[in-house]
Amino acid sequence: MSRHSNHHLRRSEQRGFADHADPSRRRFLWNWGGGLGGIALAHLLGQSNLLAGAETTGTDLNGGLHHRAKAKRVVQLFMSGAASQVDTFDYKPLLLERSGQKFDPGGKVELFQSDPGPVMKSPWEWKQYGECGKWMSSLVPHLGRCVDEMAFFPSMVSKSNVHGPATFMQNTGFILPGYPSMGAWISYGLGAMNDNLPTFVVLPDPRGFAPNGPANHAAAFLPATHQGTMIRVGRPNPIHDLFPPESAKYITARSGADGLAVLEKLNRGHMAERGADSRLEARIRSYEMAARLQVSAPEVLDVSDESAATRKLYGLDERVTSDFGRRCLTARRLLERGVRFVQVWSGADNGFPRRNWDSHEDIRKDHGEMGTEMDKPAAALIKDLASRGMLEDTIVYWTTEFGRMPCSQGAKGRDHNPFTFTSWLAGGGLRGGVTYGASDEWSYKAADTPIYCYDLHATILHLLGIDHKRLTFRHNGIDRRLTDVHGRVIDEAIA
Amino acid sequence: MDCLRFARWSACAAGAIACSALGAQPQVSFHEEIRPILEQRCQVCHGMEDGQAGLSLTTHDGLLEGGKSGPSIVPGQPDQSLLIEQISGAQPKMPMAGGPLKRDQVELIRRWIAAGAVDDTPAGADAAWWSFRRLEQPAIPDARGHDADWPRTPIDRFILATLHKKGLRPSQEADRRTLIRRLTYDLHGLPPTPEQIERFANDGSADAYGDLIDRLLASPRYGERWGRHWLDVVHYGESHGFDKDKARRNSWHYRDYVIRAFNEDRPYAQFVKEQLAGDVLNPDSAEGVIATGFIAAGPWDYVGHAELREGTHDKRVTRNLDRDDMVMTTMSTFASLTVHCARCHDHKFDAIRQDDYYSLQAVFAGVDRADRPFDRDRKVFRARRELLAQRRDIEIELKPLLARTAEMTGPRIETIAEEIKSLREKRTDLVAKVGEVDTDEKKARRAELTEQIKALETERTNLRRQLLETQVRARLERLEKQLAQVDELIEALPEPEMVYAAASYFKPRGRFTPAFEPRPVHLLLRGDVESPGDPSQAGAISAVDWLAPRFPLDQPRDEGSRRLALARWIADPANPFTWRSIVNRVWHYHFGSGIVDTPNDFGRMGSQPTHPELLDWLAVEFRDRGGSFKKLHKLILTSAVYRQSSGGDAARARIDGQNRYLWRSNRRRLDAESVRDSVLLISGKLDPLMGGPSVEHFFFKDDHSPIYDYSRFDVDASGSYRRAVYRFIVRSVPDPLMESLDCPDASLLTPKRSSTLTAIQALAMLNDPFLVRQAEHFAERVRSAHKELPAQVEQAYLLALGRKPSVEESQTLVAYGENHGLENVCRLILNSNEFMFVD
Repeated sequence: MSRHSNHHLRRSEQRGFADHADPSRRRFLWNWGGGLGGIALAHLLGQSNLLAGAETTGTDLNGGLHHRAKAKRVVQLFMSGAASQVDTFDYKPLLLERSGQKFDPGGKVELFQSDPGPVMKSPWEWKQYGECGKWMSSLVPHLGRCVDEMAFFPSMVSKSNVHGPATFMQNTGFILPGYPSMGAWISYGLGAMNDNLPTFVVLPDPRGFAPNGPANHAAAFLPATHQGTMIRVGRPNPIHDLFPPESAKYITARSGADGLAVLEKLNRGHMAERGADSRLEARIRSYEMAARLQVSAPEVLDVSDESAATRKLYGLDERVTSDFGRRCLTARRLLERGVRFVQVWSGADNGFPRRNWDSHEDIRKDHGEMGTEMDKPAAALIKDLASRGMLEDTIVYWTTEFGRMPCSQGAKGRDHNPFTFTSWLAGGGLRGGVTYGASDEWSYKAADTPIYCYDLHATILHLLGIDHKRLTFRHNGIDRRLTDVHGRVIDEAIA
Repeated sequence: MDCLRFARWSACAAGAIACSALGAQPQVSFHEEIRPILEQRCQVCHGMEDGQAGLSLTTHDGLLEGGKSGPSIVPGQPDQSLLIEQISGAQPKMPMAGGPLKRDQVELIRRWIAAGAVDDTPAGADAAWWSFRRLEQPAIPDARGHDADWPRTPIDRFILATLHKKGLRPSQEADRRTLIRRLTYDLHGLPPTPEQIERFANDGSADAYGDLIDRLLASPRYGERWGRHWLDVVHYGESHGFDKDKARRNSWHYRDYVIRAFNEDRPYAQFVKEQLAGDVLNPDSAEGVIATGFIAAGPWDYVGHAELREGTHDKRVTRNLDRDDMVMTTMSTFASLTVHCARCHDHKFDAIRQDDYYSLQAVFAGVDRADRPFDRDRKVFRARRELLAQRRDIEIELKPLLARTAEMTGPRIETIAEEIKSLREKRTDLVAKVGEVDTDEKKARRAELTEQIKALETERTNLRRQLLETQVRARLERLEKQLAQVDELIEALPEPEMVYAAASYFKPRGRFTPAFEPRPVHLLLRGDVESPGDPSQAGAISAVDWLAPRFPLDQPRDEGSRRLALARWIADPANPFTWRSIVNRVWHYHFGSGIVDTPNDFGRMGSQPTHPELLDWLAVEFRDRGGSFKKLHKLILTSAVYRQSSGGDAARARIDGQNRYLWRSNRRRLDAESVRDSVLLISGKLDPLMGGPSVEHFFFKDDHSPIYDYSRFDVDASGSYRRAVYRFIVRSVPDPLMESLDCPDASLLTPKRSSTLTAIQALAMLNDPFLVRQAEHFAERVRSAHKELPAQVEQAYLLALGRKPSVEESQTLVAYGENHGLENVCRLILNSNEFMFVD
């Protein structure tokens, strides 16, 4: 890693632009179209009431929009392809007992692509962890040691059993394309906490995009400022167009630096002839911000200053965990520098060989690999945030688009299960060691209190000081919300 | 403008609308001032007949009657009025949503109550929401007082009347260089060339301006520009969206159709009808089929349609949402109505019933989105159509027989099932796991197993057939023979072209099969596919009762007649939405905001028109003059209001900072396509080739989920120099350069684009490989014309910005160029605010 990031740093020193922006001006820039700037832009567009009933933001609300915030930032770990709850967090003795017998939970069993096979116990062993005594499978032993920090939701329900719509749902609250991602909503609601990096950053799986591609982290009808900025850890140009292409030999460090000064001079002359138009000023500042990003992005990606212990904690020294570990560590560095929302993907879209959690064929092999990749780094993130005092105002949000069936598909795989699956939260304002809701004895359906993404989204917004019913944007005749017309803040999981 | 028309306008002006003198304190009018506030801020909850707390604030009577807490107003007694109590104070209780009323709004209501709360609603005023009222052409106001000689067209007289009412005055006319740049971007999405600018600046003829507009409208660049606007509105994309975002290789015919329709100035009523039912109206014409690409333009859930099994919950949801997109797209595009809000219940704010919504779904009950063959030769196309109709009828007869066959079973058939199962498991075991490599050996072995499975399936089918009753089998065989004969005849026809369009009969793809006849559509309680209510009959909006709200159909099983009926309902001259909707869209693109600033929503949740009379006047004018876009453009572009300078004015900005009443022109940032196209024109590389398959600005690899990689694209590749309207639009993975410039997500209906200024955009403008390379081409072009740097800088300015640089600008850039070369100078010019904004 360090070799690459030094390379970035060097490039930015060579080719970046001089930084001569004072902090207040930079703040203005980042806010253009973002957060409070979103409101400003809305006024320009002749719209009103976008952030319905927003109180004045400020320290009195601890950064919250509608009420005092308990958390300031979020890191979302998204397991693409549908991670199995019955092989990780949702312990069911009945599956051990009935393994191999006919799966007969009562009623018609309708699966995505197969006819239900016999009951299949998890290939992993189960044991209890922590003071709370939560049962966890031996696929996730490192997370097992964090259970007292985690709040589990084993009765999650999805409105679709198809990857595309269901992945949209967990990200945007809708099973159709064209809606803003949670990160975009939070960026729109709360704006930036830093002057050097985007508000919403996405760290994609290098194996490829999840189903739906970047549409999962789009701003959709919110201003483009709020879309997730993809940072591809380990690539020479980690953000698209961060640096000029190698082929453009005519662009040098000096031509870039001198160029920005000349450009500003021309633009100021242009503006002087035209009088007040805040967009002309805003565009000048966007170039200053771009120059800062050229310095700050390589810096945040350079993990060479992390201690050996930290690197080991995230599993950077092991083949299986090094990639996801590196991205979890990068997530922490981004959060540390004031990025509001980081989304880390585990798993890509479908294809052969398998490159995600969609283990129709062989749970042991595919979940074995995906789970081991994820377990240690995810646990490291919780521990690392805690040791730095950041866990108290950072929400760690682990989710997937739906779960998997307690019966087998073929001989060794599991089909989709939209009727119950597990998500968990940790950190900022949440109670640790709790489980809210339950699946039935098979982990086939939610037994009571089915929980939809709306409820988790509402809860997360609540912790960030946002009333999910009042964070709205009018689009094609409807005041749209992340939570559609649903959502209940799960008080039981809040500390 | 010709004399005859002017005479007619003057005659209309007899019943002019009164406007108050500048600066006078007018009496507060319930009808004109209070009602709009109530409509905008209160009626969302206290609307209709059964508003919240039993309160309806839609009429003066409603205010007096009040609700559960008593009357809302006491005339003459603002401090006794519940309404005032609710909306004022440090933390007003009302409105619940959207923040308190503005202080001057509260003051206005207070003054109105204090003055006796007079109801000045004119007799006969239609209580319906403005967009649901019949369309009539209002009289043109007289131009009075200041600026009486300012108007050039009737449009200006409407504008002026409102300006004066608001205490505003228009700005002076922009200079010719500004105007030609504005017009050329507006109509072509490109800058004028230096030669064009010079010619226009020095054209002494009386109608130089009108001639320029005519020249611009006659150019095919016009259709490329305005066609792109239309593609935004209909959310045209060339991949399905969702997971497994497959490419649609045959969509481009529809894009070309749209461009052609604009260039040929196709009458709007025809444009509407073709897109909804061109295949029914002109069954033998290629154009008719292609136009229905409109219905297929939006996203489509491949997995939901092609992989989910018939009869499952998710399949029903998939189909329901697919029709929802067709209904939403149609009614948003043509009627500016949000009928999709009535999917789960009656529309909460507008007079749209839930059964209206499902009647609209019933219109589309027989169509899907699919590739559809067509022939340019009408005779061939007719022959193909007839053969396909025969084929379809045979298939309908075959269907139950095949189902019957599949039920047959026996010992060997059961053994085969077991064998197939075990082979499938073997095949599954050979699928490469996470972290493994999929070897050729594994692939070969899987293919081998697939062959074995196929063979067993064939054997099973044959066995089952032998078990059929003799008569049934004979019928089956006869039909299959007929099918083969028809297929042979179809094969013998010349190879057809394919278009991705609305289709009621098409080649199945996995479990995605045609409906054969319209699928039953029921009103769904709470929008839930598991709670069907009454069956729905094809139709539209009941509230517009002078147009038949349900369509009488001679042949209810003929899905095409349903679409045709809707097309006629929309294109009806008496439809109150259609004509207002389209002139508002055109106005929006010319001025940067519409007369109604929510072009897809003319309901209570949308904005209200800033110039309602002007909107209606334009709508009637457009409708009655043949629905010609080009005439409408010319009418708008020749107006004085369009020709204003974009310069600011502090005093006027204090009254109307957002320029809603158009006291100046709006400065606009170039949209994504205009940036890319302009750079190509300026560098001399623009390839004007029109139409045909889309240009892929990415590396493509087909897969379960295809890969679209923009970083692996040769920016100098063939096609890269064509206009951006011809690029291939992927839904899931947007083009990073275009996206940074606010090119919208093709899964969204986009009635207006946002225009942001971000660091990511600045980086794209500076470093995007395409733009960086174009700066080199630009420099090369300039260098080939001039040897010395100062002359080169001057030429670069002329090409990119349409003017010579000032002495200071020239000195700065020459100095920069001496140090870093002309390429860097060109790159900077393309990054300048002057290039990015149009005054």
